Amino acid sequence: MAGHDDSSVSEKKSNDISDLPTFNVENMQSNMKVIYYSRTFMSIIGGVIAGVLGFTSLMGFIFYFLVMAITSVGLAAKAGFSVHSYFDSWNRIILDGFLGGLMSFVLFWTFAYDMVHIF
Amino acid sequence: MKLGFFVGVLGVLLLSHAAYSTIQYRALLKITEDEFTGAPIHVIGELILGLVLCLWAGLTVPGKFLSILPDSDENRVVSLSSNMDFMIFNHRGRAFPAAIDLKLK
Repeated sequence: MAGHDDSSVSEKKSNDISDLPTFNVENMQSNMKVIYYSRTFMSIIGGVIAGVLGFTSLMGFIFYFLVMAITSVGLAAKAGFSVHSYFDSWNRIILDGFLGGLMSFVLFWTFAYDMVHIF
Repeated sequence: MKLGFFVGVLGVLLLSHAAYSTIQYRALLKITEDEFTGAPIHVIGELILGLVLCLWAGLTVPGKFLSILPDSDENRVVSLSSNMDFMIFNHRGRAFPAAIDLKLK
């Protein structure tokens, strides 16, 4: 059928063919990779800032969630707030990968805290 | 893309300068035997500025968002590749309604 070729894959979810939520999976995976890179980088930067400011225990984790919330807002703004033309649901931008950067955050947090306050 | 990269490098440099300022501030506190209650104001301002720059770089450098709607302008396929031996058209895409009124680009 004209308009489809081998490299773009569509996904069918319901029975009625005229209003299927089909989307281009390859672009969607590329978008998910962009989100993952952005979140990882912001976790690292947040870790360095938490270490320099001298946050300990609970304050540090609260700061991590704050940085992740700011990143979520930034990603939503990058998608122009019309999330449905780039992702299939809001959860992808807001919740996906939220805890994935936690280990990187703690690593750079302890590293920066050690460099600035202890050594 | 390159501008975003340099903005990110600038943000990281600001953060390392803020870290160095805090180390010097702590050395000063050790001399006066005070406690570390919080970073000085200019260091906090520098950290916020570095965070904003790195946020901007972290959002623009990894790449653009690509549209996933199959009928948006950039997802249209208007010509087939020339290797026709392995192309089949007898797949599930037959079931989609044809958009016959679209013009060629």
